Amino acid sequence: MSRPGSTRWRWEWVLNQAPILLFAVVVVGFGLLSPAFLRPVNAMNILIQTSSTGILAVGMTFVLLTAGVDLSVGSIMFVAAAVGGKLAVSGFPVAGVIAVMAGIGIVYGSVNALFITRFAVLAFVVTLATRYFGRGLGLRITETRAMNLPEEFYALGATKIAGLPLPVLIFGMVAILAHVVLTRTPFGRHVYAVGADADAARKAGIRTKGVLFAVYGICGVSAAMAAVVALSQAPAVSPGFGNNREFLAIAAAVLGGTSLFGGRGAVLPGTVLGAVLIQTIENGLTILNVNSYLYPLITSGVIFLAVLLDATRCRILARVGRRRIYVETPPEDGPGDP
Amino acid sequence: MNACAMKTLAVRMSGSLPALLLTNLLLCLLVASGCGKPSESTSTSGTAQKASLTVGVNFETLQTEYWVAGFEAIKEELKKRDIRLVESVADGDANRQLQQVRTLVTRKVDGIILVPKDSKTCVPAIKSANEAGIPVVLFNRPASESDGIRPVAVVADNRKLTRETVQFMIEEARKTGRKHKAMLIVGDLGDMNAIGRRDGFYDAVKGHESVVEVVAEVPSEWNQEKARAGVVNALQVNPDISFIFSSSDFLFPSVVAALKSANKYHRIGEPGHVILGGFDGDATAYQMLVDRYLDATGVQDVYFEAEQSVQALLDLLAKKEVPNLIQDPGFVIHQGNLEEKKGRMWGARVRK
Repeated sequence: MSRPGSTRWRWEWVLNQAPILLFAVVVVGFGLLSPAFLRPVNAMNILIQTSSTGILAVGMTFVLLTAGVDLSVGSIMFVAAAVGGKLAVSGFPVAGVIAVMAGIGIVYGSVNALFITRFAVLAFVVTLATRYFGRGLGLRITETRAMNLPEEFYALGATKIAGLPLPVLIFGMVAILAHVVLTRTPFGRHVYAVGADADAARKAGIRTKGVLFAVYGICGVSAAMAAVVALSQAPAVSPGFGNNREFLAIAAAVLGGTSLFGGRGAVLPGTVLGAVLIQTIENGLTILNVNSYLYPLITSGVIFLAVLLDATRCRILARVGRRRIYVETPPEDGPGDP
Repeated sequence: MNACAMKTLAVRMSGSLPALLLTNLLLCLLVASGCGKPSESTSTSGTAQKASLTVGVNFETLQTEYWVAGFEAIKEELKKRDIRLVESVADGDANRQLQQVRTLVTRKVDGIILVPKDSKTCVPAIKSANEAGIPVVLFNRPASESDGIRPVAVVADNRKLTRETVQFMIEEARKTGRKHKAMLIVGDLGDMNAIGRRDGFYDAVKGHESVVEVVAEVPSEWNQEKARAGVVNALQVNPDISFIFSSSDFLFPSVVAALKSANKYHRIGEPGHVILGGFDGDATAYQMLVDRYLDATGVQDVYFEAEQSVQALLDLLAKKEVPNLIQDPGFVIHQGNLEEKKGRMWGARVRK
């Protein structure tokens, strides 16, 4: 541990705050280029636009913390939206539609978990298969036709409680709940333990299969909630709904410092900051009316920089934090010694 | 990663019999799902037994309403002419498409109607079919110029049709007697059709800067959420935008949601109406035209394209001369010709 105030301590602090500092640089940069970017209404816009991906990324964080991955979240969104959309169009009440969608998320996540825990198949393989299965199922349900949902869904997105838009409130509640679960409950500690070393966790008496089952269930229900929030903003289910969203969710979690190898990461500020950063870049580029070809270049450049900074930070902090053990070698008895 | 590699990886990692069985089950699931259709299925009508010709139809994807409408139109056209059909879908995978075309060649189909993944990766597939003496007609997407192949393509001129649609919108804008700020919603920059539509928009706007000033170009990557966020952001910086062209009608729900949140969604003729235009002619656009929210949309004539594709294939088989490029002229549909043109608008037909 370095001494507070020392140069090394300052460097450690800077490296630890790298994601936040990068976010600040992005905000200040866009703010200097366009004052409209810094308006409070724009900040709220960014939060609204982040909410769906953010919720998805929170669920993904649970899975990543256990050294797993869920490639099916985009398909869960699609299947939940397809079934929910059919129900909504046929006049089912919105609350009932949301409940059914959440149920689909839980069931889908549980199916993933069943294959992973009961039959010990790799999460990558299971969720890749269910990703394709879900997309095929969703296309079958929708008959590859766009479904425009009733006005109630749009009203849901436009609802404000205590001045805050409902999508932002849902995102905030999900993030806080996830943070509390991960940091203040035995289950949260078990999640980190399984991710850090599953064998050691098992030997320590943790029911690793139970933990894995729970995180894939959480991820499934998060995906369904992300679909609800997405539909409340653009109330239509298109055949491409949710497609490739898993990669955005993984990017947000990794940007926020979650390790793909498990055992390290946090929802607050980590994943939330990562999701907001991605949306902030998109928002800033639109406000500046940047050439469309530059969007992927700039967005991927910032993501790459953030991940690179995080990797450097981890490497340096690991080196700084390593215990140094000096072994004194006894003086050799030379031939000339008495 | 292909199925074999996945299986090997899974077995190596799990190493148990149940895991092996499960992996096989999962691979079957993957294969059985809509996106993982590995080979062609045969669909024949009741009269197919009498058919003398067999045509392979291979689509790159069926993940949009337009492709489904095109697929159905081709099937209908073949059925009308008593031609057997062998169908397959590549699910966006160029390699899978090549294998599927080769399978069609092995099955000795008489001709192939192909929707290529893109203009370049389809060249080996076309070569492979042509070498076996099987003619290929490309539906809606052309192939790159290449030695040794002579593909016939039936395509809509995205650029021209967009230009005509936007020109109509500009004339509507001119009637208001004021200058309009415009927004363009661009599709996926890797899609030649999206680029054609973007270029067509700028062709039309050029020289009319006194009527329309383009202040925002929003990339959508053909993603509704992205489009919605982009439109909201652009409206925030330019709240007086009053002219929007969407490169595809399927993005309209996002545009409408953003306009509603900015209290700018009004019918034609109402104060504050935003001049709206699109491309494709889908069911949403049709409903918006009926409800008088949409000013115009460029319609790809999917039935013309299907009919011409099948006819071109039959002509090639009969050794007749067929032009390399058959243009679908498409048409602009608007309030003035809605009743007259809706019969050719595929969105009006597929609407439930």
